[in-house]
Amino acid sequence: MASVTFRNVVKKFGKFTAVMNLNLEVRDNEFLVLLGPSGCGKTTTMRMVAGLEEATSGDIYIDADRINGVLPKYRDVAMVFQSYALYPHLSVADNIGYPLKIRKVPPAECKRRIMEVARRVELDTLLSRLPKELSGGQRQRVALARAIVRTPRVFLMDEPLSNLDAKLRTQMRAELKHLQHELQVTTIYVTHDQIEAMTLAHRVAVMNNGVIEQLGTPREIYNDPRTLFVAGFIGSPPMNLIPGEVKNGVFASAGLRVGGIGRADVSRAVLGVRPEDVHVAGAGDADVNLLAPIYSVELTGESTLVSLRLGNQLMTLRADKNFAGQIDQQIGVKLAADRVFLFNEESRDRVDV
Amino acid sequence: MTTRVQHRATEVISRLLAYLVMAFALFITIFPIYWLAVNSFKLDIDIFAVPPVWFEFSPTLKHYDAAFIGQPFLIYALNSLIIAVTTTIVSLVFGTMAGYALARFDYPGRWRYQISFWILSTRMMPPIVTIIPLFIFFNFFGLLNTKLAVVVAYTAFNLPFVTWMMKSYFQDLPPELEEAAMVDGDTRWGAFLHVALPLARPGLAATAIFSLILAWNEFLLALILTQTERAMTLPVGISGRVTQYTTHWGEISAAGFLASVPIIIFALIVQRHLVRGLSFGAVKG
Repeated sequence: MASVTFRNVVKKFGKFTAVMNLNLEVRDNEFLVLLGPSGCGKTTTMRMVAGLEEATSGDIYIDADRINGVLPKYRDVAMVFQSYALYPHLSVADNIGYPLKIRKVPPAECKRRIMEVARRVELDTLLSRLPKELSGGQRQRVALARAIVRTPRVFLMDEPLSNLDAKLRTQMRAELKHLQHELQVTTIYVTHDQIEAMTLAHRVAVMNNGVIEQLGTPREIYNDPRTLFVAGFIGSPPMNLIPGEVKNGVFASAGLRVGGIGRADVSRAVLGVRPEDVHVAGAGDADVNLLAPIYSVELTGESTLVSLRLGNQLMTLRADKNFAGQIDQQIGVKLAADRVFLFNEESRDRVDV
Repeated sequence: MTTRVQHRATEVISRLLAYLVMAFALFITIFPIYWLAVNSFKLDIDIFAVPPVWFEFSPTLKHYDAAFIGQPFLIYALNSLIIAVTTTIVSLVFGTMAGYALARFDYPGRWRYQISFWILSTRMMPPIVTIIPLFIFFNFFGLLNTKLAVVVAYTAFNLPFVTWMMKSYFQDLPPELEEAAMVDGDTRWGAFLHVALPLARPGLAATAIFSLILAWNEFLLALILTQTERAMTLPVGISGRVTQYTTHWGEISAAGFLASVPIIIFALIVQRHLVRGLSFGAVKG
């Protein structure tokens, strides 16, 4: 039950600035995901909340308490590490019970709560094992159990699913989301996996080079990317980003022409369109944005990903699963006019269409 | 068929060679201990017999009697034990904490390296260089010929070793474990005590035995700093049996043999830890 507020937070390591003037408010009970490529400052941001790094300048608050310089133990947060950081010399029960033991919770109460949490994450039959005798998924559960055995003000999760195989990851993702909903604890979750971010978050903060590029709900981030970076980072397959020029309301690049676009001329523009917003034109349709040869056809099951050769780059579109085109066949495509984004390549910001 | 026979033959020969080399190495290491043990039970006339008497002699405990009843070797042994154990405990306590601090804390600029190097540099001169200053120092405090002086001197020489050993063990432990402990509610000290230290146990065992052997066997400093049975250690006591007119080989053998027994027993006890400790850096986690 807490909010976390960053005010003008800067973190430098020597001359390197990891986090640049961060302003962010994580609301009470919110599941906030910090999303970005490695080295973008997301883990550093989380570690500053845990008290494992000190901010170089700026203020961090949990509720109304300024926590700069406060020892981790007094911050009342719980953290799940990417490596799980289970104590190798302690049994599962002792690992889970560690936060309670340190807080001098009476042994009987300790035992009761360990059992309760262990049952919740289905570890109750493994309590006497050592971490090295567990599978990856079980270790992950121990780390989770250790975090939820007491009710902290804030949960911090540093890529908790990245060491699991794909199937287990999907399953744990759902469990995490359910757990957070059930426990109603403010959660900050760090990941570089945009699917995790989209599926788990109430709000996503997309970070790059120590700066939050965009903060919004997953839907906003996906449907309304504010910068070139966010547009390219979110989505799988990623958004098509095609460099070109806007002149007199027409975007033009090698082979591609999109009319009725741009309120002003932009000499170095990037047009962005998601694969699902590019449609294959009918046979006799003359009104196409692009005529290009097929480079590859990949059936994913529920749809077909078609890549077209466009100058020296590719443009991907999501076609029907029954798409029957052949490689090198020339096809015409249409872009959904209201789903096209335009970016200024120099400032890397969105330009109004 | 021939090639298979040939193959087998080379295998047998290479095995044989390996055993020969091992037997030779074993002989070189075991022989002095055997000779020491055997001589301690021989009569003087058998010790000096030419050709040497290997197995057939009438054993006697006379030298043990002479050394431990006639001479104060029991007291020397006790002194050695007290000094070695105290030195090891003190060096381990301070060296482990120093090693941890050097492994984990943030230092401005290159200070981690500077401090580490400075600590190591105290080992770079031969100990004999410090003997006269140490003598004057302990004389000034009236500590000459006390066990305390020997412990202080040994600890000073052991600390850099312990600090560096423990520093490298702690550096091999993933820091997230202690970070997790701190987020779970521990202080840095608690994380050190509850998490880092138990995990560094193999390192502690390896370091302890090295420190113990060093202190138990040290001769030079003890020779200068101790004069009587109040503080004199076994190596000094043993060397005292080389007198102006004769060398008491029997007593030297008896005392020397018994002096090596505790270290051998201790080494056997911590052997498992020692092996794990020494290979700790190689296999992480």
